[in-house]
Amino acid sequence: MEINPKIKENLRIRAFYLFFIITSIQVGVGIMGAPMYIFTEAEQDSWLSIIIAFVYVLLVIFVMFRILEQYENADIFGIQVDIFGKWLGKILGTLYIIYFAAALLSVILTYIDVVKVFIFPEISSLIIGVLLISLIIYCIYGGLKVIIGVVFIFFFSAHWLLFLLYEPAIRMELDHFQPFFQASFPELLKGARATAYSFAGFEILLLIYPFIQNKESAKFPAYFGAFWSFGLLLIGTVISIGYFSAVQLKELEWAVLSLFKIVSLPFVERFDYIVVAEWMMVALPNMILLMWAITYGIKRMYKVPQTKTLFITSFILLILIAFMSNHNIIIRLTDLVAKVGFWVVYVYPFILFPIVLLKKRWQRKKESETR
Amino acid sequence: MRKNRRRRNTQTQSIFPIKIDKLEKLLKDKFEKNPDLIFSTFEIGGKNVCVFYLSYQVKTERLDNFLLKPLLNISDLSTPNILNEIPIGGGSTTDTFEEILEDLLIGNVFVYVEDEDKAVFYLIVRKESRDISKSENESVVLGPQIAFSESLITNLNVVRWSIRSTDLVLEKIMIGKRAKTEVRIIYMKSIVNDKHINTMRQRLQDLDLDKVDDSHVLSQLIEDSSSTIFPQYYLTELVDRFSYTVSQGRIGVLVENNPQAILAPSTIFSFLESTEDMYMRWNAGSFLRILRFIAMFISFILTPLYVAAVTYHYELIPPRELITIGQSRAIVPFPPIIEALFLEFLIELLREAGARLPSKVGQTIGIVGGVIIGQAVVQAGLTSSILIIVIAFSALASFTAPSYEMGTTVRVIRFPMILLAGMFGLIGIMYGLCFLVIHVLKLKSLGEPYLSPIYPFRWDDLNKVLFRPPYAYQDKRFLSLRPKDLFRFKKSEAVKKHDIDE
Repeated sequence: MEINPKIKENLRIRAFYLFFIITSIQVGVGIMGAPMYIFTEAEQDSWLSIIIAFVYVLLVIFVMFRILEQYENADIFGIQVDIFGKWLGKILGTLYIIYFAAALLSVILTYIDVVKVFIFPEISSLIIGVLLISLIIYCIYGGLKVIIGVVFIFFFSAHWLLFLLYEPAIRMELDHFQPFFQASFPELLKGARATAYSFAGFEILLLIYPFIQNKESAKFPAYFGAFWSFGLLLIGTVISIGYFSAVQLKELEWAVLSLFKIVSLPFVERFDYIVVAEWMMVALPNMILLMWAITYGIKRMYKVPQTKTLFITSFILLILIAFMSNHNIIIRLTDLVAKVGFWVVYVYPFILFPIVLLKKRWQRKKESETR
Repeated sequence: MRKNRRRRNTQTQSIFPIKIDKLEKLLKDKFEKNPDLIFSTFEIGGKNVCVFYLSYQVKTERLDNFLLKPLLNISDLSTPNILNEIPIGGGSTTDTFEEILEDLLIGNVFVYVEDEDKAVFYLIVRKESRDISKSENESVVLGPQIAFSESLITNLNVVRWSIRSTDLVLEKIMIGKRAKTEVRIIYMKSIVNDKHINTMRQRLQDLDLDKVDDSHVLSQLIEDSSSTIFPQYYLTELVDRFSYTVSQGRIGVLVENNPQAILAPSTIFSFLESTEDMYMRWNAGSFLRILRFIAMFISFILTPLYVAAVTYHYELIPPRELITIGQSRAIVPFPPIIEALFLEFLIELLREAGARLPSKVGQTIGIVGGVIIGQAVVQAGLTSSILIIVIAFSALASFTAPSYEMGTTVRVIRFPMILLAGMFGLIGIMYGLCFLVIHVLKLKSLGEPYLSPIYPFRWDDLNKVLFRPPYAYQDKRFLSLRPKDLFRFKKSEAVKKHDIDE
């Protein structure tokens, strides 16, 4: 397995798209439910927790870039094999892929759950699953360029939803935020940790980095992408806290979606239906990127054609979707993904970084000795 | 140069010198049972001379006055002498039979003096064609109304006059194995991207077919994806649109006997822009263009939305409107999806019938459509009156597309969207939209992305596509086409402002 994969020039993407990739994969289904989880931990100071989490995310991205910069054109799979050897490296890579698969499953299941709760209580999970997965397959067949096109266009076609938040925003009760700074520091950290599921996803940077054309300008889009999703989560949470009472918010599973219930225009009475349907454009890029990460990772490590992995994974996912329609199971899966994700996404790079540095230093030393 | 190329291609041996009756027999064999080959033999100054041509391919009057009359007066008959004495330009000689046959077909008159080793021929072609007329299929209010005609010569003449530049290249390619058709690739050599030219040339030359039927067929033979419903090349009959597009740095292809020119590469936005946007003032032009985008969106989203809302999501509809819809739908025995499909089908029938009917009885359609759809359908309890407005709205919107093909595409897309909406409500519509976006992202036209410049994103090109700024701000050509010469003028000079009272 090559550590630095050679990517053809026509498959490369401009660094500026990294912004959309990072934002799209971070903002998915997580943001719909995040306010409740954060609020249970940090109460009215949730916004502080989110800021702490954002700063931490920036730090993680910084470390990721430092790791990637040690190599010429490597991704996480190559780096792991380089550091831990062929066997351990591949095992770690496989674990990474399994994490992606679990995240994908949880995203699809959560979206199906939302559709069932808000629009069609009676519909079978499998039908929506087939719809979503057929779109994923169709998109991935077009290759990375089409995937990023979808990410790019859906980014713009979903952001109009923000304007709808105007209505709940003007109904906010500002005393819901007072008194300030009530949460203790551990509570704030716990609140920050509750954002793990919503903020996760930017680890795709470790996979997509070799595809970037102008790597020297890749940093700003990545940081800015993280900032954008931070902004969205902050807006969603702050409006939720201001709009709902504390008691209500602790019980409200999809607070951000519930915000849209109040929105009403002369020609559309209730917007939450449209928002849930429109959320497909938010969730789909997420699913597509995760699926791409799975198929590409397996191709990198085991040289299995991406089409094969795509169909096998889709098939397995469909079976799982058919059986895991219970709400509690979905919640447990999401919790599990959030927990594992915390270690994989937020902690692991800090472990990897010193090892990479040590190894590189040792290599350099060896080179100079032989010379 | 033309002759050199021919020499290389035809490896057949010269049939000359030959006796005249033998030549006549050879030709008559080829034109078996065809009475149109005129083969006349004269004896002039002791030498046998034959003149042969296809009667209706040749201008008889010219033939008589400028070829036969002078020919009879030539004293010493030989090939160089004939070329010298006949007062018609462009005479050439040939010695192969294949070339004679080929050239006979396009209106050449051959003169052969017995026992000479070459035959002389002159182009005295008679080609009947319609006069150039006003464009009927793509109508515009402002700007030149002239449209291409079926005659390639006329079309080339018109194009030359509209782009009077030596930069303009009209490259000739012959296509067809059994019956050849002349095709011209037209571009500005100082602007166009060579990659596009090479791709287009390659695709045309690689075609292996008997005969080119039509430029629509040709455009489908050279397109990138044949499974899609979206047209990938804009076909226009408007000369101003053609010259505008070519001078932008794109390629035009003119096909013999066809009034429609192929424009490539085209993006989805090419199909929604009209030359009128340029002729209008910039603000009105931008308005019209944006109006068209909205119209396209409405035309395939409105009916599905109605079906979805009335079938599954009554909550979307404001209460007062809900009462009206409820009352109006109370007498309709079908589910909304049947109702909508029925009415859409009716509209499509009307449109199709309108296109097929001779224009004399065309007004019947108006009466049938107006009376039946407007009144009877509702009274008969087949559909609700709200749906009629919805359907009329979306049908009208689909006709705003400047390209008839794009309009048709949008109307066809509506049917699967209605089905999806009937099955899965808003989720179905969203599924359809997502599918369309992914589909359009995958399309290419002559190797260029179909959604360009939205994706791959080019900020500089948006002002030519999404709206139209004043001309001072359109200083660049399409960046996404990678033309040889990007800048049209210096923007800083164009937008320079004078200070007060200078």
